[in-house]
Amino acid sequence: MTEKNASSRHLVEIKQLKTYLQSANETVKAVDDVTFNIEKGETFCLVGESGSGKSILALSIIQLLPAKISHHPSGSILFDWRKQSGLGLGINSQQKTTYEKVNMLDLKENQLCDIRGSRIAMIFQEPMTSLNPVDSVGEQIMEALLLHHPEMSDESARDRALTAMQEVQIKDAESRFDNYPHELSGGQRQRIMIAMALACEPDLLIADEPTTALDVTVQAEVLKLMRELQERKGMSILFITHDFGVVSQIAHRVGVMKQGKLIEFGKTKEVLKNPQHPYSKKLLAAVPENLPKREKIKDPNSEKPLVRVKDLDVFFPIRKGIFQRVVDHVRAVDGVTVDINKGKIIALVGESGSGKTTLGRAILQLQKPTAGSVKIDDHELVGLSSKELKPWRKKMQISFQDPQSSLNPRLLIAKTITEPMKVHNIGNSDEERLELAADVMEAVQLKRDFLWRYPHEFSGGQRQRIGLARALALNPEFIVCDEITSALDVSVQAEVLQLLQEIKAQRDLTLLFITHNIAVVEYLSDETIVMKAGKVVEQGYTDDVCGNSQNSYTKELIEAVPRLKL
Amino acid sequence: MNKPTEKVKHRSSGFLRRVLKHTFSGWGAKIGLMWVGILVIAAVFAPFLANSMPLLVSLNGEISAPVFRYLSVEDIVVLIAFFVLILLFLSPLRHSIKSLLLFFLIIIVGSTIVSKQFVTVQQNVVYSDFREDLKTTNYDWVVMPPIPYAPEDYLRDSQATPLEAPLENSEYTHWMGTEENGGDVLSRMIHASRIALGIGFIATGIAMVIGVILGGLMGYFSGIVDMLGMRLVEIFESIPTLFLLLTFVAFFGRSIYIMMVIIGLTSWSGYARYIRAEFLRLRKMDFVQATIASGLPLRSILFRHMLPNGIAPLLVGLSFGVASAILAEAMLSFLGLGLVGAPSWGQMLNQAVQSSTFNWWMAVYPGGAIFLTVFAYNLMGEALRDAIDPQLAKKAGVVG
Repeated sequence: MTEKNASSRHLVEIKQLKTYLQSANETVKAVDDVTFNIEKGETFCLVGESGSGKSILALSIIQLLPAKISHHPSGSILFDWRKQSGLGLGINSQQKTTYEKVNMLDLKENQLCDIRGSRIAMIFQEPMTSLNPVDSVGEQIMEALLLHHPEMSDESARDRALTAMQEVQIKDAESRFDNYPHELSGGQRQRIMIAMALACEPDLLIADEPTTALDVTVQAEVLKLMRELQERKGMSILFITHDFGVVSQIAHRVGVMKQGKLIEFGKTKEVLKNPQHPYSKKLLAAVPENLPKREKIKDPNSEKPLVRVKDLDVFFPIRKGIFQRVVDHVRAVDGVTVDINKGKIIALVGESGSGKTTLGRAILQLQKPTAGSVKIDDHELVGLSSKELKPWRKKMQISFQDPQSSLNPRLLIAKTITEPMKVHNIGNSDEERLELAADVMEAVQLKRDFLWRYPHEFSGGQRQRIGLARALALNPEFIVCDEITSALDVSVQAEVLQLLQEIKAQRDLTLLFITHNIAVVEYLSDETIVMKAGKVVEQGYTDDVCGNSQNSYTKELIEAVPRLKL
Repeated sequence: MNKPTEKVKHRSSGFLRRVLKHTFSGWGAKIGLMWVGILVIAAVFAPFLANSMPLLVSLNGEISAPVFRYLSVEDIVVLIAFFVLILLFLSPLRHSIKSLLLFFLIIIVGSTIVSKQFVTVQQNVVYSDFREDLKTTNYDWVVMPPIPYAPEDYLRDSQATPLEAPLENSEYTHWMGTEENGGDVLSRMIHASRIALGIGFIATGIAMVIGVILGGLMGYFSGIVDMLGMRLVEIFESIPTLFLLLTFVAFFGRSIYIMMVIIGLTSWSGYARYIRAEFLRLRKMDFVQATIASGLPLRSILFRHMLPNGIAPLLVGLSFGVASAILAEAMLSFLGLGLVGAPSWGQMLNQAVQSSTFNWWMAVYPGGAIFLTVFAYNLMGEALRDAIDPQLAKKAGVVG
């Protein structure tokens, strides 16, 4: 009797599941012998770095992996299938509910289709690509409903869809119903995705990094919404994330994955507070909040501005009509005045679209400013031709966010690093320059003979280091780091952040660190600049800005950051 | 501490090599390459493969090679170019592509000038004299080419009816028969492969150079440059190549070189569009921004950093372009506006159509050659496109 009760508590039981992916000539053990349960009404979080197999595990549960490239050598996924007979939906309906334990691996395609969407729903990371751009969002929710409830009339489906939209707190749902995906913001689109998933009242919602692409304030709202909905509806959520902050916000239980194996799972508090497995310990130690705090420079007397930005504007014209008349401007950077002090790490934070990247590029003259002035060592840069800029180019460098696109895939690393040196007459011969390049590679903790490789042979973290090495090769005084750790896993991010500090100290660099990650800002920077909609909202010492800001926007931003609550 | 400059142990393969390796791993591209290889051999060694004069003769112990006396400037330049290419390919010295190309061009131009000085063009060669000569003179031994007929060796005097089906005549062996003037079809096919290959490569080469430069500038600078460039592209796209060619033939007479230039000048717009689109995409990529931030000169940004990353779709277009240039020439020759003396596949087809009786060998062989050549280039183009396919590139980690 107790046995039966225990098993009926489990919505999903995964036993010794293996998922192997078959590529041309190798088998990848994407999920390797994983056993765990998801109980009814709980949120189970899967955390792990990229490539740990957490998404593949989720796709295995819903059986969405193409059979051509994947197979399950062993294991079972038992799902408690709630079947309803009779008409109607919701509380008032008169229906008979039966439960049947089924193994998802043995089901036929038509049975799987009955389960997908109605009993197990899934939402993805990128809400823009998950929605069909040519249908209005309301129609898309209706379509999901009608597919699983063909007996429903159009009016009642519309009503249900509207209710679903109100449930995910979309303001003015009635008028939003006929909007197309591109007319909504990222957060609203993710809400629509959730509404679509919840419209059929599923028992399990699989959420694959649903907030990763969202700004931190929007993320906070979506997480709050998901918590509320789950409590109200009593469904289970399998939540996949790489962010321990999010885990501590939402999960009842958490599982840590590494290379396809579930190495540890348990109650969220216990795992986060007292991780057992060395890998979990390492991951948690790499979270910026947990990194050893560094001494911050906070001495007004030593401040000497290296770069002075005054009233800088970068406008992008909006053209309309046959004659491409300029009707308005997008004010990406709007009257920004900032001093960047020598020898400091200055963080530039803001949400997406706040103009922080444009400001960084405008300082380096990669983006032509509309008006204003940028001075380095009291020399005006705005308005110089590319020839006149050349001597200043080597003083200021940039390092980029995306490790995939920041290196020329067709050139040897040696060429990528030495070519700018040659242009700026650093080193007398090719041999000398190669020697210098190898030294720079060592400075970013890479091997000297990595010079003779192509970018595709490196991991994301290594490429970011090479990107840094390219910037350092010219002995610059000032480097703009544009979200250089955003695309990296947390443990790699920690390494790069530590490396950045070492280099900064050795070479007496000034860094403008552009990021959206407040935890990184708190850990790394001496001073912080907060931007919103092209304008600087607040500027000051990091401890002051992040600790007790007087500005309402900064406060909101800081409060929205998911913290590890221990 | 090992110095990077000492010995390069780890040198991984470049993108192009990987793509080519993948391209020619399938059977389709291999067959295509094999056919083009056969054509190249035929085109380069045409005078030695099909000629009425002996390759080597020995008269009273003295060995001479009559065929060399009758080589034209073109024959010599093509031969030199072929052997220089083979040497460059095999040589262990690795230089930059730029210096190799320059070296090759100098050799070609130099050998053209030198051979123009020394080679006296033999006009009005009477081919049957050689046959008479062989019969009358008492040579010790004679080495004849595999096909002992020159393309213009019409055998008029020796034959009652010049038209012969393959292997019809027991006295003279014609593997593919003769045309209505009595010329050997196989010999003419071999000599015509030169025109087919030459027009394909040179016309497409001209088109590509113009297309890459204009398209690259359009893509990189965008804005007003792009707008003007695109209008120019549209103007050129609206010109009907065939009618322009007809007009030029009418004005300047029939010249293979003019044909090459015209086909090249009118077909660059497609390449320009490809490159422009690629450059518009690449311009905003981080590694290009990094080169600007490093203050590299424009030439390096455009040609070292952007072009190699944007050339892939162009390579595919290139192989299809060669095929269509060959077709354009065949069409002109078929219409009777091609070259007069020299044989070409299109002109041979024209002969087959115009003759009063239907002679299958005059249509099947040149038609088959055109078909096979265009097919071969298309096969290689398809394979190249598959090899460059973004999904595959992603797997190799080339494109994000």
